[in-house]
Amino acid sequence: MDPITWTGSLGPFLNPLMLAAIAVFVLGFFAQLVLNFAGVQPGEVQINPDHTLSVARSPNDYALMAMKYAVLLFLACVAVFIVGGIVQPSLEQKGIIGAMGQRFLPVWIAMILIFALSVTFKRRLGLYGKLFDSPIGMVGFFLVMFWMLTAIFAGLVATHGAIDVVSQMRNEVPGSFMPDPDEGEYLVYLLGGDNLGRDVFSRMVFGAREVLKIAPAATLFAFMVGITLGLPAGYFGGKLDTVLTFIANLVLAFPVILLFYLLVTPEIVASGIPTYMAAVLFLFPIIFFVILFNSRFFTQPFTRNIYIFLTVLIGGWLYLGLAWNSDPLGIISMPGNILIVFVSVVFVNSPTVFRIVRGIVLDIKTRDYVAAGQTRGEGPWYIMLWEILPNARGPLIVDFCLRIGYTTILLGTLGFFGLGVSPESPDWGSTINEGRRLLTIYPHPALPPAIALMTMVLGLNLLADGLREESLRD
Amino acid sequence: MAEDTAYDGPILEIDKLSISFFTRLREIPAVMDFSANVMPGEALGLVGESGCGKSTVALGVMQDLGVNGKIVGGTIKFKGRDLSEMSPEELRDIRGSQIAMIYQEPMASLNPAMKIGKQLAEVPVIHEGISEEEAMKRARQVVEDVKLPDPDRILKAYPHQLSGGQQQRIVIAMALMSKPSLLILDEPTTALDVTVEAAIVELVKDLGKKYGTSMLFISHNLGLVLETCDRICVMYSGEAVERGSIEDVFDEMKHPYTQALFRSIPLPGADKNASPLIAIPGNFPLPHERPNGCNFGPRCDYFEAGRCDAGPISMAQVEGNDRHATRCLRFQEIDWSAPPTLADKKEKGVIGDTVLKVDNLKKYYEVAANSMFGGADKKVVKANETISFEARESETLAIVGESGCGKSTLAKVLMGLETATEGQVMLDNLSIESTEIQDRDTRTVSSIQMVFQNPFDTLNPSMTVGRQIIRALEIFKIGNTEAERRVRMLELLDLVKLPREFADRMPRQLSGGQKQRVGIARAFAGGARIVVADEPVSALDVSVQAAVTDLLMEIQRNEKTTLLFISHDLSIVRYLSDRVMVMYLGHVVELGSTDQVFSPPYHPYTEALLSAVPIADTSVEKKHIVLEGDIPSAMNPPSGCPFQTRCRWKSEVPGNLCETEVPPQRKMAAGHEIKCHLADDILAQMDPVIKIAAE
Ligand SMILES: Nc1ncnc2c1ncn2[C@@H]1O[C@H](COP(=O)(O)OP(=O)(O)O)[C@@H](O)[C@H]1O
Ligand code: SF4
Ligand code: SF4
Ligand SMILES: [Mg+2]
Repeated sequence: MDPITWTGSLGPFLNPLMLAAIAVFVLGFFAQLVLNFAGVQPGEVQINPDHTLSVARSPNDYALMAMKYAVLLFLACVAVFIVGGIVQPSLEQKGIIGAMGQRFLPVWIAMILIFALSVTFKRRLGLYGKLFDSPIGMVGFFLVMFWMLTAIFAGLVATHGAIDVVSQMRNEVPGSFMPDPDEGEYLVYLLGGDNLGRDVFSRMVFGAREVLKIAPAATLFAFMVGITLGLPAGYFGGKLDTVLTFIANLVLAFPVILLFYLLVTPEIVASGIPTYMAAVLFLFPIIFFVILFNSRFFTQPFTRNIYIFLTVLIGGWLYLGLAWNSDPLGIISMPGNILIVFVSVVFVNSPTVFRIVRGIVLDIKTRDYVAAGQTRGEGPWYIMLWEILPNARGPLIVDFCLRIGYTTILLGTLGFFGLGVSPESPDWGSTINEGRRLLTIYPHPALPPAIALMTMVLGLNLLADGLREESLRD
Repeated sequence: MAEDTAYDGPILEIDKLSISFFTRLREIPAVMDFSANVMPGEALGLVGESGCGKSTVALGVMQDLGVNGKIVGGTIKFKGRDLSEMSPEELRDIRGSQIAMIYQEPMASLNPAMKIGKQLAEVPVIHEGISEEEAMKRARQVVEDVKLPDPDRILKAYPHQLSGGQQQRIVIAMALMSKPSLLILDEPTTALDVTVEAAIVELVKDLGKKYGTSMLFISHNLGLVLETCDRICVMYSGEAVERGSIEDVFDEMKHPYTQALFRSIPLPGADKNASPLIAIPGNFPLPHERPNGCNFGPRCDYFEAGRCDAGPISMAQVEGNDRHATRCLRFQEIDWSAPPTLADKKEKGVIGDTVLKVDNLKKYYEVAANSMFGGADKKVVKANETISFEARESETLAIVGESGCGKSTLAKVLMGLETATEGQVMLDNLSIESTEIQDRDTRTVSSIQMVFQNPFDTLNPSMTVGRQIIRALEIFKIGNTEAERRVRMLELLDLVKLPREFADRMPRQLSGGQKQRVGIARAFAGGARIVVADEPVSALDVSVQAAVTDLLMEIQRNEKTTLLFISHDLSIVRYLSDRVMVMYLGHVVELGSTDQVFSPPYHPYTEALLSAVPIADTSVEKKHIVLEGDIPSAMNPPSGCPFQTRCRWKSEVPGNLCETEVPPQRKMAAGHEIKCHLADDILAQMDPVIKIAAE
């Protein structure tokens, strides 16, 4: 049987439209470029005597408008393909795009719900709500949420297992039918098969889960460490600051990849160094929360004790499981290789976070509300954690988004070098690496994870941009 | 340029100007129906509260309103030519060479990476195409004109190597490089100390005369406008409400807002108990919430329903005066000479026992030349030198002096944020000078509290107002349960006259004055007995200042608080304090009751300080004493008397005593001390600085 086409039954109608949209976009782009060189200004906003606004349009504006509508037309076509994929019965009619659109159905539903709720209540949602005023922020949020939801619904979205091998499907092109599918099994490999005969589409989907399991958590840990050390360094200054800054610079000067190679060297793993590092680094979140609650509630010992007891209990349990792999209940554990990835990511990211936090603290500690805290006798940790940190959240949230992006790329790089995660893992970096060898003959196994990684990092950057832009505005 | 010199009409004619800003939500009309003329050589003052549109007018004249600002009506003519009809090239040329603007923040106009000389020379090189050499010569000339010492050194310096006052002089020099016909000054001295301000104002006036430059002087300080300008225009909420010559507007004001403004500032002779300041009730309307009819209506004592809120009101000429106009419908009916209806006269609090006694306090900071490998050469900054004073219950002790004189350091030592190097601080009978705040007991901490200067950062922006007060109550161990503390918090809001709903608001939803009130409530949370108020009203608008000051006074009367009022605004100090302490470079140079300090004999520094304060009263005559140079660095203080580098009386002291010996603290009268070598007979010859002309 021939593989199914990309666009299915809607293709003959929509393909020319999409081509036209692309052509108009390119034309508009060049027209605008030429007009700009020729010195044609964009139209001015004019104020009418009755205090209404109108725009006097120039050719330049028409070129821009044409580009805008071309993009909208293109997106509309994609949307029609997806809807077509959902409503049409057979795979041939759906086409690859339609079929993928249908598989992502849970993601679309969740996405529509999230956007509808957020836009409705955006005035009440603080900074998050303001994101929906910024087109860039919304695009970024969409891309990030897309992969988040994909990771969550991976089981529903994927057509096959991440490591199911069907040897006849080796290097088959996108849309190829399975040789003899079992009852209820999906009939095609939507994005083709890789060199071992695994489904590229499903591996990409499961890869999202793999990547998003590690990157945000590792970044969060790096933030805890960076914040817990950066606050006192900036606040107290002096010797403590000098020493901590020196150490941070030392770590930053260390080549990351070399560090990873060192950490995965069997001798070093055997010596337990990664575990000890984890033991130290993973202690920071617990310290962080204990200080946080103590400084806030020490005037109400009962409340304080409850908070601290809960922190130590839950934190300690997670700590034993994650760092020492000795959860008494046997629920929490982390495979050794993931632990190493985790430790390294935290280790290389926390110095940068440290420096950012320290810088913000140096600025905020001169504010009068900090002095007011001091003059009523607040302890230094209350001031750092409750007076300074909440007001540093803007830049920190932005950096958090960017840093998840870096970490995702870092994980990709690690996977690419075959470090860290297990060789079977569907994470994007490893998949790109495997596809690389036959890239010139069979590009299809390497491209989907590469595009996924790209859009995800792009989304995080746009999201950070949107947040930054909106947090400056008021 | 021949046609320009021939022109003798008004330099600037603004006619029915309206400017709006367009945001995503709405159009914000920032200036409406604004008209003004500036004649050659004339200085026009533009006064009004922050946000009333003063700077927008200035930017409109510069045709620099940014992307979302638009002139929606009226015209601005410069030397008879409509600015909106000029091409961008012409505009750029006019802006560089004929209209110059000076902003509040000098560094905003200076390039930090370029030497002063180069920056100055750039102007004529670009606009007039003269040679670099000639431009440099002219730069040196203007640097001399703005009275900067050692012009050659200054030309080679970078902006950050100069003090704030020197930077502002350079900005003025830069504006003068192109010999403009119109100079726009937007709050040029707000960021500077009074004595520096006085010198800059003097300079601007002289230069205006010398070059015949017309000026548009924007300020919120009526006194400054009186000193610098020929004519004045008062703005309120986007409109000009009154304009005329200085004498007409100051002495025969014809608009209720102008009157209210004058009644809310302390003038010499005013007494806080007999004639308290009258704050303007209510708040400034936001641009999109302006009332129908008169903008000032809701706050006006003379408001007449059905008439004042009927429709737009235009400017009306006041007969008999030169170009005097007002935007009030009832100005002919109002009895302008009627004295204000006074709020009930306040009883002066009885001054009680000494609660705070500071004796020979010294605070030295050691600054290492190299912080990483400290040790080798350490420098000592003497922030406070042998300070002694007492403060009693219910008393207001004002501490005045320029920035860097050690006022804040003294406050820090009192609060326990720093420990004294030497000497004693006694709270009741407890010596606290070397007890850091962590080691003080709750009662001591809650007894001495502070109100801060900057309303925009006195409150934590991410915590509700109520939460912040409750936190103070928690720390001061007041109330046993959360509910009790909440009740107490609401009572504190009542105390500072804020609505109880404010408890759940975030600080950014409050105006500057309201935030300052929350700051006061927080300071009184633990029943403070001594409150150190560090310039609590200097960042507020005049009409709000009066209300906040009165609130502080009222709480003081009820709670018998000792108030240490740190300020550089001598008018307000004179109005509200019982005793005054003048500081210079860490020394107390004069200490005495308000009357003693404000009348001769003075310490030479007090004399200069008093003469620097702008006073908004045409009947006041002031002696002009301009202090030369800047305040010396505390790192490297002069030998002998700390004030000897700028003192005009130094020659009256025989020998070089002033340069070699620190003068002793001398008792002039009961409770009046001066730190100066001047002989008694010379001190006795001093004239009063401020004289109220006999009518
Ligand atoms: N922590 C410090 N280290 C070194 N010098 C300081 C410190 N704090 C204040 N000073 C110096 O002490 C002098 C007095 O400063 P300050 O009390 O802040 O004056 P003011 O309150 O009048 O502005 C200044 O010269 C200042 O530079
Ligand atoms: S017009 Fe009416 S409300 Fe406005 S200032 Fe005059 S009297 Fe007051
Ligand atoms: S001691 Fe001398 S220098 Fe100092 S204030 Fe008196 S006269 Fe001036
Ligand atoms: Mg200060």
